[in-house]
Amino acid sequence: MRLIIRDDPQTASKYIADYVIERINTFAPTPQKPFVLGLPTGSSPVLIYKSLVQRHKAGEISFRNVITFNMDEYVGIPREHPESYHSFMYKHFFSHVDVDPANINILNGNAPDLEAECIAYEEKIKKVGGIELFLGGIGPDGHIAFNEPGSSLKSRTRVKTLAYDTIIANSRFFGNDLSQVPRMALTVGVQTILDAREVVIIITGAHKALALQKCIEGGVNHMWTLSSLQLHPHPLIVVDEDATLELQVKTVKYFKSIEMVANELGFQQILPCAARTGEKRAAIIEELHSPKGKQTSEFKLEAPKPEIARSVTPELIPDRMASRILENAARKPQGSENEDMSFLRMNARVDSLLGVGTN
Amino acid sequence: MMPSAVSDHETHTGHGITKFTNCFLVKGNDLVKEDLWISSTTGKILQSQEVFYGQRVAPDRIIDLGGRIVSPGLIDVQLNGAYGFDFSVIPKEGASAYGKGVLQVNKSLIKTGVTSYLPTLTSQKPEVYHKALPFLAPSGATRDPSSGSESLGAHAEGPFISPTKNGIHNVSVLRTAPAGLPDLETCYGAFNLMAPSPIKLLTLAPELPGALNCITSLTDLGITVSIGHSEATYEEARAGIAAGAKMITHLFNAMRPLHHRNPGIFGLLGTASPTPTSSPSASPTSRTTAPRKPYFGIIADGIHLHPTSIKIAWNAHPDGFILVTDAMSLVGLPDGTYDWTNGSRIIKQGPLLTLEGSNGKIAGSSISLIECVTNFLNWSGATVPEALKAVTATPARMLGLEGVKGSLEPGADADVVVLGLEGEDGPERILVVEQVWKFGKCVFEKGKEKESDGGL
Repeated sequence: MRLIIRDDPQTASKYIADYVIERINTFAPTPQKPFVLGLPTGSSPVLIYKSLVQRHKAGEISFRNVITFNMDEYVGIPREHPESYHSFMYKHFFSHVDVDPANINILNGNAPDLEAECIAYEEKIKKVGGIELFLGGIGPDGHIAFNEPGSSLKSRTRVKTLAYDTIIANSRFFGNDLSQVPRMALTVGVQTILDAREVVIIITGAHKALALQKCIEGGVNHMWTLSSLQLHPHPLIVVDEDATLELQVKTVKYFKSIEMVANELGFQQILPCAARTGEKRAAIIEELHSPKGKQTSEFKLEAPKPEIARSVTPELIPDRMASRILENAARKPQGSENEDMSFLRMNARVDSLLGVGTN
Repeated sequence: MMPSAVSDHETHTGHGITKFTNCFLVKGNDLVKEDLWISSTTGKILQSQEVFYGQRVAPDRIIDLGGRIVSPGLIDVQLNGAYGFDFSVIPKEGASAYGKGVLQVNKSLIKTGVTSYLPTLTSQKPEVYHKALPFLAPSGATRDPSSGSESLGAHAEGPFISPTKNGIHNVSVLRTAPAGLPDLETCYGAFNLMAPSPIKLLTLAPELPGALNCITSLTDLGITVSIGHSEATYEEARAGIAAGAKMITHLFNAMRPLHHRNPGIFGLLGTASPTPTSSPSASPTSRTTAPRKPYFGIIADGIHLHPTSIKIAWNAHPDGFILVTDAMSLVGLPDGTYDWTNGSRIIKQGPLLTLEGSNGKIAGSSISLIECVTNFLNWSGATVPEALKAVTATPARMLGLEGVKGSLEPGADADVVVLGLEGEDGPERILVVEQVWKFGKCVFEKGKEKESDGGL
């Protein structure tokens, strides 16, 4: 787990934007080898998108060869509804960058067969080779995507009923009218997220401090679905100071020290992706697999002979062990030999004790 | 950085979609920093998000406007002629020459940002109406950007007007319609008064005999009636509005001035009930209820009206405020004395037009519509979107074309003007027409006129 702590939501968001841009640019996506990016909605990622858009307009990042998959979408509100996640993504991100609309995937909450929509979504992810980096946020109850507390940690893309808390929280976007808030959503599952090769989560604000604490310091628990990230090989959580309010000082200091040491020693806490480590790995694999010089020339076409390394258990000889010790070695006087041969001195002591016992 | 319609990255995927970005859209009374998608295929403004997700299409062309203003195309509901062509004059060569003249005006006019307008006829003899009106009918059905500015129908200013408030209209051709519709048919031609009529707006004086019946008949034909060139008292004007009239032609000019015991036509702006928000002129109930505040035209050329009068009118009823040019064919011609209709002559001295031998009666204007907007902007303290509303959304609503013209909402015609605002921090702000788009295609770009013409 990498936990990056920044002073405020702005700098935390900028860290993630920089990180995502670095990852995409290093990946050097092409139409044949696109970068597959998972994307969230919500208030926390807004600043990330803003930063990504700015960097795009500055010509520092292109999304032309990026395929996107969004986490979730409400069921039953029109696509053009201002609160739909389609609208959110269009408003905050897609309309400002050069992403190809054909490369955008968002669950359709108005599909005639919602189950089929979810199955197809998983298949689409599979078809493009899985998600390279899944960006996400969490709710105050630690839910990731719409995987509300109690969601299976092995869950896949599916229809999900929203928790009462979530409906109340979202009612502010629907004129504070609970009856207008969608009660169901389509969402990727916890396992869908864990399958991504890297997961990057933004958590900001004091109201999410408890969730962060549960997910970092608590155990894996389906009541805090983000905690499942503990089982992921490459999770990165970026938080602001407020979000750390419930963490132990020790935890905060530890993660800060990791970053500090890394910076001092000049390596970043970045995922060892194929592009970075590929050459090195290939060299190591080649070395490991190539048999050593002379042997290869003699047994070129032979299958390697199985060598039985295990020694044969000696037959039990019921004698006194002491009798196996050489007479002269045992009788050597103390201190007369090299200091390094300390076992002789030990032997001598053992011998004298034995002598006491047997005599 | 100059905005450019051609240099920005262009891919030929062929959806005909242009996206304006880094610009401020005129929406209601606000300038909104938003992108605008338009289609040259449908000639309409697009609901960009739906195109993006539904058709999975990206714009063919993205134009960075460098913070400029994007306004709906301007609408002039009172234009008598331009570039030496007068809509009220049938050339000696005959009707076909007239038709060509109209087309020429259309092509030139669009460069001033006026993407649609009402070609206006001053009071004339019946034969002029019979010949001219068919050429002035709404011309947008072909949706052809190369045709230039689009006629939304003719504005017949007279001849059923008061002989004492005739302005420069020749008294000898003025008429009354005591019999109502049949008299109108005699004048304009029965074939011009059948729906769909080439006439869109008709100015008359409500106090004349039979005028109220005429208003009712015209309204039923889908022709909007405007009160003007009139001696009407407040009560007579109210009766006109109650009969269905929706507008006042060039408020203050050619009518009785405001008197505190007889507010006259201007008094209509004190009416309590608001202007209808859409176009329910066809609704029969609207006539029986209290008269509504009318729309009104204002000539903000610095000659026809004192700036303070304009400000008073605007403050009284901002939602009915429409800027018009009332420009004559002499716009752009050198100073001198020119023959006009019915044997009259007009003297042009700079921007001032007067009728010869009339002790200086003003004979229309020679100002462009965007100059009127600039004048209004500087005289009133209105915001840029408020000023532009007076030549876009408000006239469109008056004409029953809300959401079709004068709007940047999805589904409206993609008639768009890109404006630069100069002198924003100084004492005088000036709006400059930088680009004009008609039905989704660029038809004018400042400094690149030849290229744009070549592209048509």
